[in-house]
Amino acid sequence: MSSGLASDEVAEDYKNSLEDLTSNDRFQISNLTVIAKENTEHAMAISRVLENHIRTTPPAQKLPALYVVDSIVKNVGTPYTLFLGRNMYQTFMNAYTLVDSQTRKKLDEMLKTWKESVPGSLDTKPVFPPEITRGIESALIKARTAALQQQQARSQQDLLGRGRGTGTPTGWTNSPTPQTAPRHPQPNVPRPNNNGHGYDAARIPPQTQHNSHQDVDLAALNRDIDSLIATARSDFANNPLDNSVQQRLKALLDLQGILQRQELTQEQLRLVRDQVSALAPAPKPVPAIPQASMAANIPPVSTTPVSNILAQQLPQAFQQLLNPGTLGELLKVTAARQQQPTPPPQNPLLYPKVTANMNTPPPAVPTPAENPLIAALKARGLLPATPVPTASNPLMPSVPSAFPFIVPGQVRYTPPISTPHAINASEIKLGVQMNTVSIKIPQPTLIISLYEARSNRCGTCGRRFLTTEEDKEKKARHLDWHFKTNQRMAEAAKRAQNRSWYVDERDWIKSREFGDDLEIPESDAQGESGAGSGSAAAKKSLPKQWIRAPNDAALRNTPCPICQEKFESTWSEDVQDWIWQDAIKVGNRVYHASCYAEVTKDGPAPARGSTPLGRTGTPDSVLGKRKAEDNDSPSHVRIKTEPSL
Amino acid sequence: MSLPGLELTQPTADRPFAAAPPTQISLSQGTEWRFEVAFGTTVRVKLLAGTAELFGTELAPSQTYTFSGTKAAIYTWHGCTLEVNAGDAVSSLDGFLPGEVNGSAARGLSAGGCQSEYTAEETPMVEYANVHFALEEMRQQAKAAGRDGPRVLILGPEDAGKTSLAKILTAYGVKSGRQPIVVNLDPSEGMLSVPGTLTATAFRNMIDIEQGWGSSPMSGPSPVPVKLPLVYFYPSQNPLEADGMIYRPIVSRLALSVMGRMAEDEDSRETGIIVDTPGILSQGKAGGLQMINHIITEFSISTILVIGSERLYSTMVKDYDNKPTSSASAVATDERISVVKLSKSGGCVDRDVGFMKAVRESQIRTYFFGNSVPSTASSALSLSATSTLVTLSPHATQLDFNSLAIYNYIPPTVDEDEDEYDPSQLGTGDPFFTGGGEGGGVDPSSHDPNQQPSHSDEPGSTEATASSSAPIDGLSVPLKKVPGPAPSLLANTLLAITHAPPNAPAPAIRDASIMGFLYVADVDGEKGKVRVLAPIGGRVPSRALVWGKKWPDEVVGLVG
Repeated sequence: MSSGLASDEVAEDYKNSLEDLTSNDRFQISNLTVIAKENTEHAMAISRVLENHIRTTPPAQKLPALYVVDSIVKNVGTPYTLFLGRNMYQTFMNAYTLVDSQTRKKLDEMLKTWKESVPGSLDTKPVFPPEITRGIESALIKARTAALQQQQARSQQDLLGRGRGTGTPTGWTNSPTPQTAPRHPQPNVPRPNNNGHGYDAARIPPQTQHNSHQDVDLAALNRDIDSLIATARSDFANNPLDNSVQQRLKALLDLQGILQRQELTQEQLRLVRDQVSALAPAPKPVPAIPQASMAANIPPVSTTPVSNILAQQLPQAFQQLLNPGTLGELLKVTAARQQQPTPPPQNPLLYPKVTANMNTPPPAVPTPAENPLIAALKARGLLPATPVPTASNPLMPSVPSAFPFIVPGQVRYTPPISTPHAINASEIKLGVQMNTVSIKIPQPTLIISLYEARSNRCGTCGRRFLTTEEDKEKKARHLDWHFKTNQRMAEAAKRAQNRSWYVDERDWIKSREFGDDLEIPESDAQGESGAGSGSAAAKKSLPKQWIRAPNDAALRNTPCPICQEKFESTWSEDVQDWIWQDAIKVGNRVYHASCYAEVTKDGPAPARGSTPLGRTGTPDSVLGKRKAEDNDSPSHVRIKTEPSL
Repeated sequence: MSLPGLELTQPTADRPFAAAPPTQISLSQGTEWRFEVAFGTTVRVKLLAGTAELFGTELAPSQTYTFSGTKAAIYTWHGCTLEVNAGDAVSSLDGFLPGEVNGSAARGLSAGGCQSEYTAEETPMVEYANVHFALEEMRQQAKAAGRDGPRVLILGPEDAGKTSLAKILTAYGVKSGRQPIVVNLDPSEGMLSVPGTLTATAFRNMIDIEQGWGSSPMSGPSPVPVKLPLVYFYPSQNPLEADGMIYRPIVSRLALSVMGRMAEDEDSRETGIIVDTPGILSQGKAGGLQMINHIITEFSISTILVIGSERLYSTMVKDYDNKPTSSASAVATDERISVVKLSKSGGCVDRDVGFMKAVRESQIRTYFFGNSVPSTASSALSLSATSTLVTLSPHATQLDFNSLAIYNYIPPTVDEDEDEYDPSQLGTGDPFFTGGGEGGGVDPSSHDPNQQPSHSDEPGSTEATASSSAPIDGLSVPLKKVPGPAPSLLANTLLAITHAPPNAPAPAIRDASIMGFLYVADVDGEKGKVRVLAPIGGRVPSRALVWGKKWPDEVVGLVG
């Protein structure tokens, strides 16, 4: 409490120890708890250090730091609850906004435990006073609602932006035959002039009429987009794991690319500008704005034939932007959303026609000859003659994650294709024959299957994953593998390692390659020290026991003294060593654990603590681990019973 | 050393050794950056933007990769920016700097301390990638037709880029979720092992970018998943030595194991095999074509890729194109061999004798001591300052020469009177001699338990069929036990520990896969002692040892 020298020193020490805490390491956490307990006279300083640390540490390390807080308030209690509680709202919310959704889940769980009393203690008071937890909770609920709205707004935004990206309708207004009207029998509407020049001329008046806010200043627009991108980038840097930020950044980058390629007409530019200006107050999730602002900016459509055509032409343009092959399906799904970006028709007479135009699955599309506009575009090579495989399914359910994981520092790079989609390897039409001629033909679309189609990347090793649910799980396991390996590397550095013997033919034939993305059932529970000693009893409910296979050939060939069968070595990816499953070392002899248990009956009873000890890192497991530690450490940390007992 | 003026006292000659500033290299799409790094120096490469791959394996963005003693190329399909930075010189314990064998100063003056580096616009990558896609197509067809995946043989003269192509095809296969079995038949360079070995490995995980193919299992963890090779020892650089009579049966044996794996491992069966060969087979030497034919038959090759040899290509087309493969199902499914010619990359450089020697020494060193270059690729995740340098601790031990069963190949061409092969002499002087060697494989089944003592209860079909070839050439295996006293020539060479028991018959020892290597540090002929370095502590397994008398070449001073 006194800010004397000693307190400073303790604080400095504590700060340094905290900085070493980079992962959810229960030893470090309990160590930090013990230090805090022993220095309750410096509780204030330590609390400040903790708060500062949580505020400044990178998002990935916030969770372990918060676990330290959790551990301290539960094991030590006052005065830490007082000091830490004071700023808990800020501390918690700051951290919460910056971490990814998985970590958030864990924070939620932790918060839940704070509302209850410390498990196993006689005190029935909650960990933190309800005022504190309640404040955080209500803020979280608010944030969640807002985020939901924001996401909806984004997805609409996204759809619009991507719709533009798919096609390249340069200068559709120049096409000599805007004969779309015939497809939509509208007796009231005079036939548009078949002469392209006449059409263009007729098109000019509304533009000039509203020149002031209709002509889009490209430079200004680019500037706006640039600044939006900058904001999105910094958002992304702060919050690299948030999908919506990624999407937004990606959409903006795409948009910028399209603008730079000058592929948009004035009308489209106008819409873009409106969208951009709507986006400008970025973090405010107001889904209504895009629509509203657009309505305000769209010039009142007069009832002249010309503007009638214009109004009709615009949705038409949207149709062309989308891939003809999937248009029908797309329209069905998005009919409602599609109406938003279209100019709100002022003319009540026109309105139903426009809507009809959009909602009708276009009969003309399968036979492009019927649509001269598309035909003309195709003739000019502006529209692809056949659907490009990459654009085949713009509405995959996994679209939000289809965007490449853009790492800060890599943001300058935007993949050259505008719509990265999840393509299963099996979907790709390969068509490359194994002969000298065929392999000389460049196949850029196939390269996509190695790169863009696998846009979900591991940041550590660069491995790519598909954006399917299955591959997302694979990636999660793959990241787990990295995490575990790094932990083990740190541990392994302390002891000597050596090259293992090569396997023999039979073992090699029987062995299956370990995939770091495969599920390893139950192996998580095997601690490094599971050498069949007493500590093995603290293991999971599954009584798997193993030891490292001895290197000594003689020992290796010694059978189990009970059943006289030899032990079988298996390579454990978890331990990175050859192990004997179901083996236990008693004294100098190695037995099959099952044989030994059979003989000794009340031997090492396996399932004492049925705590889920998996690496979930939830507060529960931290508690469990701490408890396990209590068994052999004489520190007088408050011991809690398991909720399940 | 940051005191102003202090560096003035340093001799100017040391200037190049001062850390060069990082160089940025921008590659446009479809180009590659070729670089050479001498042994003893390191170069760090970081991908700043875009995508880039090294022999098909993609670089992770913003990770630092450290290269040493390599000649490689980083290709980009989309364009990229690389940052190249000179790393620290590698200081070995005993001042071993293989780069010095090149004579000139090791550290180059090019960007980031590379010996040489440039950007190339013409690459055969389109072809190589298309080969992968063609293989994918064949894999899909094969699966639909119930066949095995394609078995690919890569042929071409020395330094044509065969191993690089094998890596690219493997990397793309792995990236596409496949699990190819990669077979290295080139004894001059090891794959996941030391030189002088023939190996087969199923690749499911990424190839290591920094360390050749990666690493075989160690007792500790590895930042890149380890690969599990099946290893056979062939102690000569030239597969055609002794008319290929040693090489040939080992290839057969290896092929048999691979086929056994294919039969059981569905992932590998669907993906197929990629076979890398020694360049010497493709260089028109006598017996080369016969050996190629042997490999094609044994592995039921379905696709032959010929790099950089028009002549060999035409021969292969004549002999094999559109002929049925040798696989058992070829008749039923009408599977035919296709022969494809590939361009040689302009980036292929002749690796001179000195460089190759250094590569081999480094492979042997890595086997015992682990990575000599700190690998920083995966340390970023943990953010802690733990080094990912994997250092292995081999075990030096003194052995009684007479307790060892060391065998040596005595090619019949070598004129050594007393070494004339006589099967009945096998095991003479061996205290455990049981006379079992006398039969020399008359009854193959009786020897099976000896070959696989630990699994004697289950003599797999593999062993039984494998030994069927033994009676034919069993009597001519020029493998002889090295008699005492310990020859001083043993020093600085490798001994391969086979999985065969010490008194197994010669064909069994020849055909046995190996479990590891011993390095003979020195020999005391009078006392009959040898000091060896073993990868693992504990007793050296009591197995038949095969002496790499001539190959891999001597490594002096591995143990200080």
